[in-house]
Amino acid sequence: MPDSDNDSGGPSNAGGELSSPREQDRFLPIANVSRIMKKALPANAKISKDAKETVQECVSEFISFITGEASDKCQREKRKTINGDDLLWAMTTLGFEDYVEPLKHYLHKFREIEGERAAASAGASGSQQQQQQGELPRGAANAAGYAGYGAPGSGGMMMMMMGQPMYGGSQPQQQPPPPQPPQQQQQHQQHHMAIGGRGGFGQQGGGGGSSSSSGLGRQDRA
Amino acid sequence: MEPSSQPQPAMGVAAGGSQVYPASAYPPAATVAPPAVASAGLQSVQPFPANPAHMSAQHQIVYQQAQQFHQQLQQQQQQQLQQFWVERMTEIEATADFRNHNLPLARIKKIMKADEDVRMISAEAPVVFAKACEIFILELTLRSWMHTEENKRRTLQKNDIAAAITRTDIYDFLVDIVPRDEMKDDGIGLPRPGLPPMGAPADAYPYYYMPQQQVPGPGMVYGAQQGHPVTYLWQDPQEQQEQAPEEQQSLHERD
Repeated sequence: MPDSDNDSGGPSNAGGELSSPREQDRFLPIANVSRIMKKALPANAKISKDAKETVQECVSEFISFITGEASDKCQREKRKTINGDDLLWAMTTLGFEDYVEPLKHYLHKFREIEGERAAASAGASGSQQQQQQGELPRGAANAAGYAGYGAPGSGGMMMMMMGQPMYGGSQPQQQPPPPQPPQQQQQHQQHHMAIGGRGGFGQQGGGGGSSSSSGLGRQDRA
Repeated sequence: MEPSSQPQPAMGVAAGGSQVYPASAYPPAATVAPPAVASAGLQSVQPFPANPAHMSAQHQIVYQQAQQFHQQLQQQQQQQLQQFWVERMTEIEATADFRNHNLPLARIKKIMKADEDVRMISAEAPVVFAKACEIFILELTLRSWMHTEENKRRTLQKNDIAAAITRTDIYDFLVDIVPRDEMKDDGIGLPRPGLPPMGAPADAYPYYYMPQQQVPGPGMVYGAQQGHPVTYLWQDPQEQQEQAPEEQQSLHERD
């Protein structure tokens, strides 16, 4: 699979019942998470395996929590694309005000650089979409993806609905070309968790539906 | 032993101490009705909220020392957090390369897309999340490490993360990720004679956090309902536990 991640060697959930490789896609790679955790600790500190796994899960919950709030806002405003400002707004709404100031600076610098790159690549390529999904999700692969911003994407580029406009960074309000109908087969467990997160106190909905690996599989094959 | 402590005999022994405290019949303990371990943890901190005027002179000294320790610890941790945010801003202002991220963008997109309502994601959204998640991991780890240090350990464990989640309001959405037993086990982390430092948490660990997500609806509802009250209930023990080391030290000196 193009999305397989070398960082996720071995099960990230020791003793967990879910050993499917697709389930690991619900978390960020434990090696990346562990590396960041160490930056916050003294040199002689140690981190237990279950602590790393717990933080992995906390981060996914954080992403779903913020994304759910941002998605609600886009729907209220009849917009289809979640952009950086929507995420910052959601963080403010959900109590992460401290994050917004640093991230505003970060997003501003990113847009500046993207603006320069977009201007440079506008003459090099007429492509309106750039796919990251077809690349390996490692940092090196991402670097290659950005470096070849004007290059053609993977063969499955047009088959995927997660299209993003090349100028999305510099023009967040720009509407991308109409995509394929969105996938309805999503992971219900995450969906319910996200709904619960929007409640504001992290309480999850009553629906404890089992995770659907086949759903993820279909999403990948789409 | 403390012969001069007339109203409370046998203060020197931990077991004796735990026996004396329940006699005060402090209301919060009655409302909790927890297991023995959690009960012991709660009872051991009852004297501090009590009216200082009703304490013996020695208790007042211990109380004041614990308060001072608590305030110093809080100031130190607050400074650590302020330093944390200054470092984040400095780090971001120094960022020049947006092509290398500490977290894979494709995986972030996949997690975002797990929500059925999410349709289109701009190119900048995963980039923002890559930095936001890095900050989130750093802050959560720092707050967890504070608990590790309070318990005089060098290995960050799951119950340290549980403690950080219960202490920090913006982490309320995470209460269901750590089992409640991890939160109750906080008390056992304290250096207390007669109790194994980490043996009980290992024995008390009822299940892995992954299977918890598969619990049927009623279980989830129950967990959710219990999770939130537990968050508030354990706020006080967390604060009181920060005073406990001083108490232990003082008692030890008296022995």
